[in-house]
Amino acid sequence: MRFYDRFELPADKAALHRRAVRLEWWTIAFFLGAVTLLALTLGQSQAMKAAWIEDMLGLVPPAAFLIAARFRNRRPNDRFPYGYHRSVSVAFLAGAVALLGLGGYVVYDSLARLIARERPPIGLIELFGHRFWLGWLMIAALTVTMVPAILLGRAKQKLARQLHDKVLYADAEMNRADWLTAGAAALGVLGIGAGLWWADAVAALVIGGDILRDGMRTTRGAVASLMDNRPRTVDERRPHPLPGELLDAVRDHDWVADAWVRLREEGHVFVGELLVVPAAGTDRLVERLEELGRWSRNFDWRIHDLVVAPVSRIEVDRSTATDATTDSGAASLPARISRTPAAG
Amino acid sequence: MRRLAALLAVTGLLVGGCQWPRDTAGTLDDVRDGVLRVGITDNRPWTRVAGDGMVDGAEARLVERLAEQLGSRVEWHPGAESALMPALHDRVLDLVVGGLAADAPWTREASLTRPYFTTRTVVAAPADLAVPADLAGVRVAVPAGTAEVAALAAEKAIVVPVADATAAGGLPVVVGEWRIGELGLRRTSHELGSHDHVWAVPPGENGWQVEVERFLLALSSDEVERLLVAAETTGTTP
Repeated sequence: MRFYDRFELPADKAALHRRAVRLEWWTIAFFLGAVTLLALTLGQSQAMKAAWIEDMLGLVPPAAFLIAARFRNRRPNDRFPYGYHRSVSVAFLAGAVALLGLGGYVVYDSLARLIARERPPIGLIELFGHRFWLGWLMIAALTVTMVPAILLGRAKQKLARQLHDKVLYADAEMNRADWLTAGAAALGVLGIGAGLWWADAVAALVIGGDILRDGMRTTRGAVASLMDNRPRTVDERRPHPLPGELLDAVRDHDWVADAWVRLREEGHVFVGELLVVPAAGTDRLVERLEELGRWSRNFDWRIHDLVVAPVSRIEVDRSTATDATTDSGAASLPARISRTPAAG
Repeated sequence: MRRLAALLAVTGLLVGGCQWPRDTAGTLDDVRDGVLRVGITDNRPWTRVAGDGMVDGAEARLVERLAEQLGSRVEWHPGAESALMPALHDRVLDLVVGGLAADAPWTREASLTRPYFTTRTVVAAPADLAVPADLAGVRVAVPAGTAEVAALAAEKAIVVPVADATAAGGLPVVVGEWRIGELGLRRTSHELGSHDHVWAVPPGENGWQVEVERFLLALSSDEVERLLVAAETTGTTP
């Protein structure tokens, strides 16, 4: 067995990852452009301050992704014997907290404006010799910033699913949050024009609640992932099917009487232990175990650094099924319990 | 996206005929053919409040002109800014004037209009008096008790406080740029500051604000300067 082996994405996934890096650079360029555009149209108003905070938070996930991308493939060494895959998990936490912060800020800001019964003033602007209501310009600027956010968010969400990259997914959520707040703000400006002073704050409150919920789910997922919870799908909505599939496939080997697997996510890869009970009279056990390790790694590109150990007996402990409170049904139980009693 | 565009188009059609933007509390409707309640501070030459409550000054003239356009009667409420602005916020007043600058700290209480006129404070001198490029050590007259005293001192000029720019006694004098012609002075290259002037309206009364801004932006700067000069030259005694 080779220690300190390097993980590399399969060629097709590596190409996707390079595309994701490019998209993230575009995202940073977009946010910087949006800040400039808003500064030109809104000036140093309260609304501008809010937009600033939102866009600064929007920069966190792409920056985290790009920083993690520099570390994630580094070779393990004596100082970091497990490698650097966890840098992706750390970036995920940073992105998730930024999303949570954005949701919290939007909710707080809109509630504060509602309670203070703040009536937003929007007057005239003179542009190229024409005088018109500043609200129209604000709506135009907000609509323009929505388009790239929608396109970037969609593209990144698709890539994130293919790459099992949760940072990228959190960033896609951030882009969704961004265009939703921009849309809400545009509707709010329209409402203000119609003489409804509360329109802006109410629209922001509704969207802010949605972002806050997203942010809480993502942050919970990121923290749980750092606590080595069982792998979950990239959107954190359900347990990942791969550990169960791997276990079933391992048990289909003739010489395997019983097996048990424990996997955790280290960023985009799954790492863990596979215990097997060899059938009585199995020959060439060491070779078979090594072969099983190689076979498991080839089972799916995400499986990496799997320790295969032979044991004489695997005991079912139903008290480990505490996960049932967060998940539903059989999927919540440890993989081995769903199986009929050990054969052989 | 397409839905938003459609929504915008429909809204555009709906409001095409009516007033847009609309006030949150209908100030413009109340003012038009009604009463225009104006808070006014004493800030010459923009505004002047005499002991008997009579008001005068460039902005007072402009308010009267706006009221005439709207067919409304002006009701003056002299006071200090710190008393007038909260009243404006609660829409007890419709407008506050008094030479307000665009960087006035009243943005919580009031909505300031777009700047309609910029004044520059400069050092001017009689035509036959040469003023050096560096003011250090030069005697310069300046109206006492103004921020320009400090600005001059920072340039190391010898400050000569005077009651009024007309009392400079032949010295270079700090004066609003618009007064140079009236006082027969010549502008030097020294500029001590500039102010963008605004009016204050209740926040959220966007229809009213747009109406006031349209009125102010339609003014030519020559017109405002004429009014300022006229305010300076008539009745220097309160």
